Amino acid sequence: MNKNPIKLGKLVRRTIFYLFIVTLAVSIILPVFFLVSLSFLSTRESYSFPLPLLPSLKTEYSLTHSDRGYLLSVYDKFDKEYQTVLDTAELEKMSVYMKNQIGTPYSIPKIEERIAELENGGKDTIFFSVRKNLLLNYTTFFQITRDAVPALLRSLQIAGLTILISLSIGSMAGYAFARYVFAGRDVLKFSVLFVRMFPGVAIALHMAIILANMGFYDKPIGLALVYSVGSIALTVWITASVFMGIPESLEEAAQVFGATKWQTFLRVTFPLALPGLAAAAMYTFLGAWTETVSAILLTQFNPTFSVVVYQSLLGAVGNVNLTAAGGLVLAIPSLIFTFFIRKYIQQMWGGMTI
Amino acid sequence: MATLTMQNVTKIFGRDVIAVKDFNLEVKEKEFLVLLGPSGCGKTTAMRMVAGLEEVTTGEIFIDDREVTELPPRKRNVSMIFQNYAVWPHMTVYDNIAFALKLKKLHKDEIDRRVKETAGMAKIEMLLERYPSQLSGGQQQRVAVARAIAVNPDIFLMDEPLSNLDAKLRVSMRTELKAIHDKAGSTTVFVTHDQSEAMSMADRIVIMKDGEVIQVGSPDDVYHRSGSIFVADFIGTPPTNFMDVKIQKESNGTHLVNTHLNLLLEPEMAKHLNGYDKNHIVLGIRPENIVLVGESDAALSASCLVSEPQGSHQVVAIQLDDNIVKVVAPPNPIIAPGTDVHLIFKQETLRFFDPDTTLAIND
Repeated sequence: MNKNPIKLGKLVRRTIFYLFIVTLAVSIILPVFFLVSLSFLSTRESYSFPLPLLPSLKTEYSLTHSDRGYLLSVYDKFDKEYQTVLDTAELEKMSVYMKNQIGTPYSIPKIEERIAELENGGKDTIFFSVRKNLLLNYTTFFQITRDAVPALLRSLQIAGLTILISLSIGSMAGYAFARYVFAGRDVLKFSVLFVRMFPGVAIALHMAIILANMGFYDKPIGLALVYSVGSIALTVWITASVFMGIPESLEEAAQVFGATKWQTFLRVTFPLALPGLAAAAMYTFLGAWTETVSAILLTQFNPTFSVVVYQSLLGAVGNVNLTAAGGLVLAIPSLIFTFFIRKYIQQMWGGMTI
Repeated sequence: MATLTMQNVTKIFGRDVIAVKDFNLEVKEKEFLVLLGPSGCGKTTAMRMVAGLEEVTTGEIFIDDREVTELPPRKRNVSMIFQNYAVWPHMTVYDNIAFALKLKKLHKDEIDRRVKETAGMAKIEMLLERYPSQLSGGQQQRVAVARAIAVNPDIFLMDEPLSNLDAKLRVSMRTELKAIHDKAGSTTVFVTHDQSEAMSMADRIVIMKDGEVIQVGSPDDVYHRSGSIFVADFIGTPPTNFMDVKIQKESNGTHLVNTHLNLLLEPEMAKHLNGYDKNHIVLGIRPENIVLVGESDAALSASCLVSEPQGSHQVVAIQLDDNIVKVVAPPNPIIAPGTDVHLIFKQETLRFFDPDTTLAIND
């Protein structure tokens, strides 16, 4: 028996705490793991039941004679038996199937070798294994999707433009809110948030018409403008609080010691605000990079990468493992950007005190 | 080094908040001038107008013969030490000091020489590569000082630079700031609300209240010849004791009388009241000018309320009606509460104030 009830209470609290943390971690890690794993599965694996947790690295084949030609079978780890997948005499068909469905590229001459083995060896069935090309989904994704690479560059361009527009306008407004007292300041500061009070898709159609009138429909700048509307609200609030955190006397000191207003901003205010600006840039990037709904409606021939990923799920070519590969490609730049910008954001919390 | 002249300077915030009212001041070359007053008296605003950080509503400011009223801060050639030091946290100590010199586009070697020289004066030469967050408050203060000296300013402005330091450091920094001032030979305007700081550092003190100058003078002047009840009360710890008294002219001379006191003024002091036509005055006397004596010589007797030993002396508080009079007495023997004490005043130190205008009568 536990003699100390306080210790027991502490134990329970800690247990609940860790249960909570683990649940949280799992709920974040599991979907990511699923996406990564799926992106390495072959088409056959990704449509099998139950879905494998991890992609296989090689595939065990068996080859035997049939009436129409040859029977190709694949070893199923779950059922622990060979399952016939193809019954054909066409070696090309066999090669294509092995590559596209199983993810194991195998050339026709090599298949001929195996057949020769079957014919000459005197055996009923021959067994062989082929290494899987794990990156096949990725190369296939870029091969079958319409202009995936230009779309990737376009998305980068849009995200960059959005950061540029919303950070320059947002931080100027944020600075004004932080430093100057003027009539209607608080009302204005709150009204900036109005644009975030309804889903963007609700006005997407009107946006499309306005952009068309401006000549910006289906152009990166058009989408960047639409995204900026939403993210300016965010950057205004983030940067306003950042600028409020910088003592005015630091700027005044710069002015007394010979700096113009512009030099003061460049040499004192901006470097000090950098962590906050970086955070604002990160949110803006993530928002612009992953946004899909408006992008579907506001582009036609020049889609963003997120739209390309979405479209890869549709139609005849739509394989979920290919989409997963595309989705991971979509996630990587935002991860890189976040890691790159992380060190600036950390300054805000620990590295530097103002 | 230069002189500073402020002529009829007024600062109005918004529509009707008068922060500084018709402020006139001349600061002499190499002078250490202290603006002293309670918080909200406009002393910091006055200094910020000199720096160019606040616009002047009306009036002119000159540095030497150069009018700077409309100039931006960078063109005034002043330097400033801020209350919160305002050292830039993202720059090393070296860069903090070199900032202004780099903006002046000085040669690299010259910058290096001046940074090291001023860092030496402020005793931070071993901290040059550090960032401000790695420094103590006192060290940050020294960085602010070095940064201010490095630019070789015409006028040195200090806005309550010692108020964020702990009590002991404050006193030692006082001495150092004064020494640096003497060494650099700079004209300095120093803002503070701490009267002992002002007394110990200033060549001249400007006492301000509600945006107006109340009195200008040397520490000696404002202490011993306070021009008003406000100044007499504000300067000195403990402050001047005040008593309402009636003037009674009798055959043997002029008496100051209230329920506890009947003081025959010496002829020298009585003369000061000659031109005065009311029959009441406020009598002001500093605690150290009240002397404990034997019962027979006393001008005033009362019982001790409490005594605060201070080591070198004790402060004896005496209740007179609802008025507490404080007396600085020798440290021994300690006077127990309830004991009767007998007092006389050093007559030549008495200050007479008009109860209506609160201004001093004897000057």
